[in-house]
Amino acid sequence: MAGEVKKGIDTTKNAIPFEMAQIPGPEMAKTYMPKVIGAIIKKAKRPLLVVGAELFDDPVMFDKIIEIGKTGIPIAATAHSVKGFVDRGYLDNVYQIGLHPLTAHLRFDDWIGLDGKGNYDAVIFMGIFYKFANAMFSTLKHFNRNIKRVSIDRYYHVNADMTFGNMAFIPDDYHAAVDEVIEALKK
Amino acid sequence: MVTTKGSFAVEDMKNVQINIGAVVKEEEEWDQPMGPYPKPNVATLRDWDFKLANRYKIFYAPADDTCTLCTYGPCDLTGNKKGACGLDMAGYCGKIVLIACLMGCCAHAAHGRHLYHWCLDRFGDMKFDMGDEILVDSPLYQTIMGTKPKTLKEFGDGLSYVEEQVVQLMAATHTGQEGYYGDFESKALHAGMLDLLGMEICDMLQIVAYDMPRGAADAPLIEIGMGTLDQNKGVLIAYGHNLAAGAEAMIYAEANNLWDKVDIGGVCCTAHDLNRIGLAAGNPSIPKNIGMKPKVAGAMGWWRKMVRSGVMDCVMVDEQCVFCDVLEDTQKRKIPLIATTDKIMLGLPDRTNDPVDQIVDDLVNFKMPGVAVLDPKKAGEVGIRTAIAVKPKRSEAKAQNLITDTQFKEYLEKCTGCNQCVFVCPPHTNIGDLIQEAVKGNLEPFSALYETCVGCARCEEVCPQGIPIMDLYEYANRDYIKGQKFKMRSGRGPARDTEIRAVGAPIVLGTIPGVIALVGCSNYPKGTKEAYDMAKEFADRGYIVVTSGCMAMDMSLYTNEEGKTIWEQFGGAFDGRNVCNVGSCVANANIADAAIKVATIFAHRNHRANFDDIADYILSKVGACGVAWGPYSQKAASIATGCNRLGIPVVVSPHSVMYRRSFMGRMDKPEDWMVIDARDGKMQQIEPAPEAMLYIAETKEEAMLEMAKLCLRPSDNSMGRSIKLNHYCDISIKYCGKLPDDWHIFVRDAKDLPITYKDKMMKELEEKHGWKIDWKNKKITEGPLRPADVSFDPTNIPRKIRAKK
Ligand code: SF4
Ligand code: SF4
Ligand code: SF4
Repeated sequence: MAGEVKKGIDTTKNAIPFEMAQIPGPEMAKTYMPKVIGAIIKKAKRPLLVVGAELFDDPVMFDKIIEIGKTGIPIAATAHSVKGFVDRGYLDNVYQIGLHPLTAHLRFDDWIGLDGKGNYDAVIFMGIFYKFANAMFSTLKHFNRNIKRVSIDRYYHVNADMTFGNMAFIPDDYHAAVDEVIEALKK
Repeated sequence: MVTTKGSFAVEDMKNVQINIGAVVKEEEEWDQPMGPYPKPNVATLRDWDFKLANRYKIFYAPADDTCTLCTYGPCDLTGNKKGACGLDMAGYCGKIVLIACLMGCCAHAAHGRHLYHWCLDRFGDMKFDMGDEILVDSPLYQTIMGTKPKTLKEFGDGLSYVEEQVVQLMAATHTGQEGYYGDFESKALHAGMLDLLGMEICDMLQIVAYDMPRGAADAPLIEIGMGTLDQNKGVLIAYGHNLAAGAEAMIYAEANNLWDKVDIGGVCCTAHDLNRIGLAAGNPSIPKNIGMKPKVAGAMGWWRKMVRSGVMDCVMVDEQCVFCDVLEDTQKRKIPLIATTDKIMLGLPDRTNDPVDQIVDDLVNFKMPGVAVLDPKKAGEVGIRTAIAVKPKRSEAKAQNLITDTQFKEYLEKCTGCNQCVFVCPPHTNIGDLIQEAVKGNLEPFSALYETCVGCARCEEVCPQGIPIMDLYEYANRDYIKGQKFKMRSGRGPARDTEIRAVGAPIVLGTIPGVIALVGCSNYPKGTKEAYDMAKEFADRGYIVVTSGCMAMDMSLYTNEEGKTIWEQFGGAFDGRNVCNVGSCVANANIADAAIKVATIFAHRNHRANFDDIADYILSKVGACGVAWGPYSQKAASIATGCNRLGIPVVVSPHSVMYRRSFMGRMDKPEDWMVIDARDGKMQQIEPAPEAMLYIAETKEEAMLEMAKLCLRPSDNSMGRSIKLNHYCDISIKYCGKLPDDWHIFVRDAKDLPITYKDKMMKELEEKHGWKIDWKNKKITEGPLRPADVSFDPTNIPRKIRAKK
């Protein structure tokens, strides 16, 4: 399987917006390898993992996210995705909030954050309806550039700073890439 | 008016006297004095708009990073940079939002203008009479204009007002004019308000002229679905939003006893309005109950599915939500097309002045694919006669356009699995997978996802193999299409004054947990069934559910275990545990009207020329929430914006990010949630309720959770608050598996706690949130933002302070 390739999964290919017509302008996301993305997330002082309801379509992702949560990164469970965490009995650092109100708050540097300790310096999106995630990235791209926009979703996210290429049709590779991110976080 | 140092020209003086006379006369007939803001101008209600925007921060999600509106462009506005003209990204978004709201507003106002002239021409002026049970008969008109139209002709003033304002607003979008995003949004809110007025004018005109129900909770059940169109008759489709030509087709069929030869099916809002015609008993030119005869073919999202299913013989389009390639679709299938308004002419020859026989002959013999006939009466006759005469002639074309078993298989084999189609499919359907399953002989996925497909045909546009993907859907769903036969309650129009009197107190105190308005188009994120699910969830919970337009049609396509549609499960009253269909898109005005009527009929607020006061009342006290779960149009944007100006929050689908702007409150800023207590003028902290004005949800489940939350109001009494919190928490448990994280913010007193969760919540308040609990008396002694106070009178408007200094 692709996941067993030693050099790691190449997540830099297919830099095509998952919704093809989403071509915003001169500044478009760069694709990175999982290890690099993992290292960047690890370096962040106040990272926030933001997950959505598409996780229900690929439930194994819940387990991967919980692994990330266990490294200490708080999780914003948007839409009704919190159900997946309830079902798995993991709610330690999981916050239930809509992606829209979350992004609305992220715009403001003086926001107190989900834990009352202040705003975040990196948001990592995954499992969110493409168009919605894309638009919320756009909000941050234009109106709060202090937050690093990272996607570890299966899509090329054009309005992120860092993203994988499109992996929507190669689920095994995608899973392996997320595993590599997790490995990098644990290092 | 020409004035020189205070002296009037004689002619103007006459006008002044006439105006004064009219006002004095009206004063005598109306117990309300003229309010402060008759016919507000662009900046008149700006204070109110800024109050809203200060609490509900303007939120932009730019859909593109560059501006190309003038020759300096493209300008790169990334990161809120300024373009050559000085406009920054926020300003650019505001400008686009304003333009979108103006498009929506103009669509309705122009519809109203057309109906106005047409109704006066067709029926002559008529008394504006909504019957004995609706005395507050044009609430938006009265709130905005400060006058009461007494005849249809008098609605002309309102139309002229809207038209004047729209020109002013449009002018502000020119490069070099408005530059501040907050002012663009104030202007957009103005456009939204004008849109509500335009819609009300449309609906009032047609209710009276076409003798539609005036608040009939028991409006009849009519037939809906592609399967209801009788294939033994010529099928005429009336598609769009303006009933004029479709109504004439009905009247022609009736007058010539042709119903055994022709079936009429409405698509989009024209369907609603055709089915409302003649259901009251007023206008003798309208055959009684004629609205029972046409069918509702379906909502706009079904158009391309319908045209491919072969159920129609002739199409009349009028205006608004008509797919631009309608002619291509009909021409290919030899379905004659008649364009009936000058808004959509599609390059067709204008045959308005030609004899009917000639036009019908040309269409029936396929000498031309379509015609424009701008006289509704003539268009109606042409439509009926063409549908009947063309039917036998197009049977061959009809058969040819339905793909055969062999063709279906051939198309399946052509698919290379390249996934180009998935990249453009709005609900991200994996069409390649459907095809792979079909190759194995399993058509189930094609059937299961038929309702999820929004009918956009983008997949076909990109498929390198030229596979007609929507035809594959049609092939796989033939049995479903034949059997798509359901019931829908016909549009009832406004809420009756008596209904408002009965529900006013329960709404304001919160014991009816809220009014949920499910409106808008068919661009659902996950299929039409979500419309049904939402309506059912809230009607079951005792909310007042109102609906209109495509969402009302789409929710009709499902039944419960007993085979009953939503309309057969619930009554049609404006009351808790009811689902009432107000009618078409323009009938949405009746929903805003109901909110105004709570303020004026139940709370005796003067609404006359008093928009901000009424909006303030609704924002603080009327637990209403609009939901547009499949909105696609600019009309939906302007309607939502108009509702927001009126203090009604709205939840929209994730596709609605394309509207670019929303309004979100900051829960973490207590200072944003200060209101005046009108009793004594003191400032009072309130809980963030409602927390947002325009909320984008990702899923149906999230939307429903938010809908329950957005019905919370500062005025809820303890019983009302506990009922509302109960539903909010219950929905969260049901779909999220846990209580929401923020329920405690809305608790003012132990009495606010829902009984089911009381003990658990008290414990959590103490342990998690550090509140002090007196366990012996089961009371909260410390913690809430404010105490519960039944006579608290929240307002955001200083002139509402009652205390005498
Ligand atoms: S309108 Fe302003 S921002 Fe837009 S292209 Fe012209 S100069 Fe640039
Ligand atoms: S027509 Fe249906 S399947 Fe095709 S892209 Fe549109 S929604 Fe998807
Ligand atoms: S675009 Fe056409 S060929 Fe490619 S997967 Fe879709 S249906 Fe098949």
